[in-house]
Amino acid sequence: MSNPALLLLQDVLEKPELIDWEWIRENFWEDIVPAFQGHIFLSFVSVAIALVIALPVGVISARYRKVYPPVTFVTGILYSIPSLALFAILISIPGVAIGPSPVIIALVAYSLLILIRNTVAGLDSVPPETIDAARGMGLTNRQILFRVELPLALPIIVAGIRIATVTIIGIATIGAYISGGGLGALIFDGINRQFPTMIIAGAVLATALAITADLLLLGLERYLRPWARVRRT
Amino acid sequence: MLSNILEVFARPDFPEKLREHVVLSLVALLVAVAIAMPVALMIRNTRLGAAIAINIGNVGRAVPSLAILALALPLLGIGFASALVALTALAIPPILINASTGLREVNKDVIDAARGMGLSGGQILARIQLPIAAPVIFAGIRTSAVQTVASATLATFIGGGGLGDLIVEGYSERGPEILLAGAIAVAILAIITEVGFGALERAFTPKGLKIAQKRGR
Amino acid sequence: MKNRTKLIRAVPALLTGLSLLLVVACGNVGGTDSSSGGSSGPTITVGSKDFTEQFILGSMYAQALDANGFNGVAKLDLGSAPIADKALQNGQIDLYPEYTGTSLVEILPYKGNPADLNSPRATYEAAKKLYAKRSPADKMLTPAPFNNTYGIFVRSSVAEKDDLTNMDELAQDSKNLTFISFSQFQNRSDGYPNMQKNYPALDFEEIKIVNNLGLRYSGLQSGEGDVGVGFTTDGQLTSDQLVVMEDPKSIWPFYHPAPVVRSDVLKKYPKVEKVLNEVTASLGLDTMRELNGKVDLDQEDPEDVAKEYLEEKGIID
Repeated sequence: MSNPALLLLQDVLEKPELIDWEWIRENFWEDIVPAFQGHIFLSFVSVAIALVIALPVGVISARYRKVYPPVTFVTGILYSIPSLALFAILISIPGVAIGPSPVIIALVAYSLLILIRNTVAGLDSVPPETIDAARGMGLTNRQILFRVELPLALPIIVAGIRIATVTIIGIATIGAYISGGGLGALIFDGINRQFPTMIIAGAVLATALAITADLLLLGLERYLRPWARVRRT
Repeated sequence: MLSNILEVFARPDFPEKLREHVVLSLVALLVAVAIAMPVALMIRNTRLGAAIAINIGNVGRAVPSLAILALALPLLGIGFASALVALTALAIPPILINASTGLREVNKDVIDAARGMGLSGGQILARIQLPIAAPVIFAGIRTSAVQTVASATLATFIGGGGLGDLIVEGYSERGPEILLAGAIAVAILAIITEVGFGALERAFTPKGLKIAQKRGR
Repeated sequence: MKNRTKLIRAVPALLTGLSLLLVVACGNVGGTDSSSGGSSGPTITVGSKDFTEQFILGSMYAQALDANGFNGVAKLDLGSAPIADKALQNGQIDLYPEYTGTSLVEILPYKGNPADLNSPRATYEAAKKLYAKRSPADKMLTPAPFNNTYGIFVRSSVAEKDDLTNMDELAQDSKNLTFISFSQFQNRSDGYPNMQKNYPALDFEEIKIVNNLGLRYSGLQSGEGDVGVGFTTDGQLTSDQLVVMEDPKSIWPFYHPAPVVRSDVLKKYPKVEKVLNEVTASLGLDTMRELNGKVDLDQEDPEDVAKEYLEEKGIID
């Protein structure tokens, strides 16, 4: 008594035109693993650099509100340039090396808006009474920032990191178009060679990576926001 | 350089590419709404249904756009139609998530009160749930719209046309004019979409909610 | 609250640590095909553009160098001609396979119409001269004895039915035909405009833009178009489903493959020129088509195809 859905799935998976398992076996270490490594590298470094820029900028924007609109404007413009275009533009600038660097620059640029916005929103969500209480206890501004505001803002900041990370993993696939490496290389090669196996390998792995990152960070978000666990969203 | 960029806009094939891009994005969005909204409406009163919808939406949102477009290739072939199907699939998650969440978030007390007043399920939906959820739903549609316009640039890789064609062409050229023209065109399109849907969002926010929002509740 | 503070302090430290770890761990980053020969000797980096023939040629040059006292490293699939040229001039690669005509159209400041140069030799000389004048200077080595030019091909069934053998006849018949082309061809001076200028009867019923070589061919095979544009060494042209139209007016520049090397590299390692020339001289049109076909149609790896070929020719053992 076989499940028809399973039979269909089996059929699709075994279709020689779609997935060539032989190729996957042969080229796993040569092509698939380096692409996967490259992708993690691109995503991770980009998120890290973006955070290093976005957190201080977010804190400053939250404090000195006049700075916030221009910051949002600039990062917003960066966000609306389509990724393919931004990659290609960066390459045409003299002095930019061919390889992962322009991809990382672009990925960082994309994630600034959401990270800064969530940092500000997170800091805004700290009740003024709490800050007053802390001040009353004699904490300096710096201590308040690091021991009170940022910890309380953390869930919203992590939510931003989650969205930024998933976005970056997705857009990094396009980076392969400018020789940036990553899983997109499998996808583009597959398209060029009309070899669905590579397309599927790249697409499935990129999706799996994005979903895994999403779930991990969602877990972190929920862990940091225990009071939200009690109430249903 | 500027004049060279403007020359690209004056090319006979530019309006065609712009039209392709707009049609791809718009149709994908409309079909996505037509699919996502009924689903969100159906599950609005069941906890399990909402959880499933939101989880599917979250998974869907994490899928890289290029992956779906590329997968459409071996399954559906090259061309406009394949790109359209892929873009529609990509456009559904933000709408589904926001519509489901929005409808579920309507305060249970309000619904109970309405039921107490004798309103039917359909009336509650039309007069209470939808208007209250409207801002969130439109935010979802707006997000999806902007995302779709951006993803439509990738349609070029599967022969789907659109402004991405210009970017790919310009990438192989010596000078950056064609590339910049394509990039600027899509960026402007994305900004218009963002601003336009933002205005739509405000238009559909019930006055009472607007006041409440202003008061910072 | 105390745990939270620790968490915050730990985060940046964690991120930096992990980044460094990744940088160290991920050796193979950037570009699909970056392979090191593993031999000792001075490292010569061979680049390539972004299509099959380039992958094969680039691999060939890298492997030949590797077998001849150098450490041949291949950095394939960099991108289009301007991109590969950029990598060459800024030192990321030392050489890459270019084409005589292409360099005049896409890279060098050639002040005329490359299609007017009426011999492969003249085309090569013009390119070589301009390359030598650059800063840093480059040398375009001896080209291969075949021409990889644009090929306008028609589905065999259509060619038979309408009795089409050359571009003139095609132009007359074009009102009933659909042409599958790509953006660059339609807009570059040596592409479609060039065709129209020389065969003015050209007036296709429909022109579809598909920016991908493989997809153009499959589009033709599936009947989405009748006429397509590719390159004369495309592996797909070994098929009898397609007929290449003859070009009696010889409207295109000559595109003979020739490696372009930075002059300072040649000065330091003069042997490089000899090794590369040996590979280039061994090639021919049918051979190239066959090799391209192995990658595009049989899904073999360009590096393997290059290796087999070089072994067969005795250039490496």
